[in-house]
Amino acid sequence: MEAWADGPRMHTQKSATSQAGRLDAVFAALADPTRRAILERLSQGEARVTDVAAPFAMSLNAVSKHIRVLEASGMVARQRRGRDHVLSINPRSLDEVDGWIERTRRYWEQRLDAMERLLLDLEKDSKRV
Amino acid sequence: MSNGEMTGPIVQVRRRVRAAPEQVFDLWTKPDLMARWMSPFPGAVDCKASADPREGGAFSLVMSSAEANREVSGVYVQVDRPRKLVFTWVGPLTNHVNTLVTLELTPVGEETDLVLTHERLPTTAIHEGHTRGWGNILDHLAETIGKAAD
Repeated sequence: MEAWADGPRMHTQKSATSQAGRLDAVFAALADPTRRAILERLSQGEARVTDVAAPFAMSLNAVSKHIRVLEASGMVARQRRGRDHVLSINPRSLDEVDGWIERTRRYWEQRLDAMERLLLDLEKDSKRV
Repeated sequence: MSNGEMTGPIVQVRRRVRAAPEQVFDLWTKPDLMARWMSPFPGAVDCKASADPREGGAFSLVMSSAEANREVSGVYVQVDRPRKLVFTWVGPLTNHVNTLVTLELTPVGEETDLVLTHERLPTTAIHEGHTRGWGNILDHLAETIGKAAD
């Protein structure tokens, strides 16, 4: 399980290379509670880096690292406005999460269909005996 | 989820199955039965299954055809026949990243309510309990989650 904790660093490097890589980066980004809290804050609207960092009991530097992981995953975009760095959420990154959810749902629906067909077969077999 | 808190992107599928929980449970843990329905490739593809259904034990499913090999594998986290089976799941569907599948079976008369939950997030994050809410993100995700199939 601990391998997952190191996921973001591994995945950010290949984040732009493929859809699979981007999806990994998105899930790795979501794996951390601080990053989820940052996303939740940004889901209410764009915000300055300093404002995003303020509620956390950690250094601005530590929060900045989390923000960089979110940027590398494509979930968060940064704009410079004068002296301020303004962060906003990229809703399209969530579409990729939805894509995984849809594929996974389809996979299990089909497998459970097959499981039920097997149950019917087993029932027929047992009646024949 | 049972605690009512959303912890991350999950997929949940429900079924009412015409069989006893014990019989359904065995379909998930007995290799000869697993090989007969778990492969997403029907027909001629060769499917080999192995399973050591106890906590910490492993399972694998190897599907091979002339063109390709595919493998799904994992480790059992909780084995409580016939009510609950929890296992990790690594395979093409998950991008070869570890995920967690929970199977819950509840008898209803002579049938069984099956609830399958597939979580993409690391279990470490799930168990940390720092679920400060997902707000709008989860509202968005919820649109594609939880459409139960009967």
